[in-house]
Amino acid sequence: MRIPDSIVPAPLRRPAKPGEGGNDKGQAPADLKTSPPERPSDVQRVSDRAKEAPADVLAWVDQRAGASGFLTGMLYRKVPKGTNWFYTLGSATLFAFIVQAVTGVFLAMFYTPSPTQAYASIAHINNDVFLGQFVHGMHKWGASVMVILIFLHMGRTFFFGAYKYPRELNWVIGVVLLILTMMMALTGYLLPFDQRSFWASIVAINLTGTGPVVGPYLADFLRAGAELGGTTLARFYAIHMLLIPGAIIALIGAHLYLVVKLGTTAPPWVRAGKPKAAAPVSQLDAGTEGNGASPAR
Amino acid sequence: MTRRHAFTIAAQGIGGLAGAAIVLPAVGFAVAPIFHRSKERWEAVGPLDDFVVDTYRQVVFTETEGVGDAGKTTAYVRKGSKELGENPNEIVAISNRCAHLGCPVRFVEAAGNFICPCHGGVYDFQGRRIGGPPVRPLDQFQARVRNGQVELGPRYSVTSQLEPVRARDPGEFTGGVWEYLYPPRPSTFPPPSG
Amino acid sequence: MKPADKQAYLEEYEILKKKGKPFFPYAVLKDSTMALIVVGVIVLLSILLGAEQGPKADPTSTTYVPRPEWYFYFLFELLRVIKPPELVPIATVGIPTICMVLLFLLPFYDRNPERRPERRPIATTVGCLTIVAMAYLTYLGATGGSPTEIEMKVAPQYEAGKEVVAGAGCLACHKIGENGNNGPGPDLTHIAQRVPRAAIVRSVQIGPGIMPSYRDLPPRKLDELANFLSSLD
Repeated sequence: MRIPDSIVPAPLRRPAKPGEGGNDKGQAPADLKTSPPERPSDVQRVSDRAKEAPADVLAWVDQRAGASGFLTGMLYRKVPKGTNWFYTLGSATLFAFIVQAVTGVFLAMFYTPSPTQAYASIAHINNDVFLGQFVHGMHKWGASVMVILIFLHMGRTFFFGAYKYPRELNWVIGVVLLILTMMMALTGYLLPFDQRSFWASIVAINLTGTGPVVGPYLADFLRAGAELGGTTLARFYAIHMLLIPGAIIALIGAHLYLVVKLGTTAPPWVRAGKPKAAAPVSQLDAGTEGNGASPAR
Repeated sequence: MTRRHAFTIAAQGIGGLAGAAIVLPAVGFAVAPIFHRSKERWEAVGPLDDFVVDTYRQVVFTETEGVGDAGKTTAYVRKGSKELGENPNEIVAISNRCAHLGCPVRFVEAAGNFICPCHGGVYDFQGRRIGGPPVRPLDQFQARVRNGQVELGPRYSVTSQLEPVRARDPGEFTGGVWEYLYPPRPSTFPPPSG
Repeated sequence: MKPADKQAYLEEYEILKKKGKPFFPYAVLKDSTMALIVVGVIVLLSILLGAEQGPKADPTSTTYVPRPEWYFYFLFELLRVIKPPELVPIATVGIPTICMVLLFLLPFYDRNPERRPERRPIATTVGCLTIVAMAYLTYLGATGGSPTEIEMKVAPQYEAGKEVVAGAGCLACHKIGENGNNGPGPDLTHIAQRVPRAAIVRSVQIGPGIMPSYRDLPPRKLDELANFLSSLD
């Protein structure tokens, strides 16, 4: 499939072959006085410039940002032979996270993190705000979908052996992301402040308290005191909105960087096969040497 | 000591100071509630005659101020029983918070036991654990009688021998070596003396 | 992994990569389709299931049965089946911490260069077992009901006994019909076939093993309870 020239940056475009792309009268006229060369009309000149415009804009940005090398390297890099639909689970998880982030931002515009007003603000979102219950529902079910996808992605990575050399660091980052995702689920769960949220969160906080020595202080830290108090909800809100998403975004960046740098693995059952054996020396001609590599198209 | 080396150390030192100046107050801010103890609070829950010796009456009172309904809690209150070796002039107020992980327990009159719906904890009439995963007896509230009204005060925990200790979170063992493994927290009140 | 294995992998990977296709548009098309499916599923769930609130948070409740969100059901079930108090910290922090550490350090103790599942029997078996265990625990956690309700239909003279049994917390360790927990106590649905009434009464009063004793049960309630249980054949 040929990508149109307007998207590909100028330095990467295939240069025109000599003689193609021009008008039919490719030959230079024998006598320039009697048959002057065709001048393009004004309309043609403007339309030609307009067609080049996107490339011009990109070229302008590229001359100042110098990112085209990085972008083309990232977009046009090869993925190994045999890459199948299992490999979409990682980007699907990222996409679910983006859905959560966007719906979360819109919910945050209406939510009040105070123990006396949280429930009422959620009721307001559900009942009065346009598409409120829909966005709330997307955020709530998006959380379950994201948890499912991240476990599926982890399973795929495990069974394909994609955590082995040289991708061990990527796996460790991924496990941290898994833990952060579960913590997002935990902290977000208290925010609606209905019966189910409240009791599930009480039990979760008490679970952290059972760890020896540091447990009690950790539970106090989460609750902002010995009992669930005025600032507990605000604390969970800050952790859920700011602290953990910041960490997740940073770690996703590191995770993706490693994926681009190291490449994704091929499915383990795909074998490379022997590389093509070099042709015997007698078949090489002095004249045909170097003709072997024509661009495969 | 080259100039470069001196500058390296200075850059790290000053940068470290600047970073600490930002981070330490923020961390202190986040960690401060561990060391803060709110004012001791006593609330009247009913006249003395409302309560009896052989069964519990359920009362609702505010444990934490300023958070509306979320600060209330339920307690089971009765008078002390001579048969059980308690002082008949004293009030026993048992918290409904399970000592396993904090779910609300229910007093079942038929069995004379407290049952927890979450993971199946069972406590006897005095709050001692007789079945299931709870790690210690139910917490109690300090209680006193003022002007004929029973008043309930701060929460405290008990050992398996029902001796008072400072309030612990659910899931934390009490007594003996556990007092050090699950240390008392500055945010809780001293237990009553007896 | 031995350096020779590492080198062999890198060489093979180079070849596979050369034979592959550009990320854009081949892989990006698959990713975009999957993204569309994901957002479609989320929208569908939101429209069909909505986001209704439950009743307002009420710490004074004595009848509410707390439950976590479904993806924590496996941990919840673990906490339910581990009854002895000494083992509670193991269930709450011990097991999850050990699992997290094992997950973390996986690439460091799995040194086998082989990546095909059929050639990594230990890894594949452990992975499948973990998935099955988590799925089973999640299912158990989801279907575990409140330990204070028996739905079984009984003759009117046994209703009172059924209420005593339901209210005494027996379902926390015993199964009766569809309700209750399948352990650590024996299933009581057909207990009368195996155990005579006197033995039932004795068990209830003594509380053998980790079972609590109900000797403080008033005699009338004990009678009703024994009548109900003796009718379960």
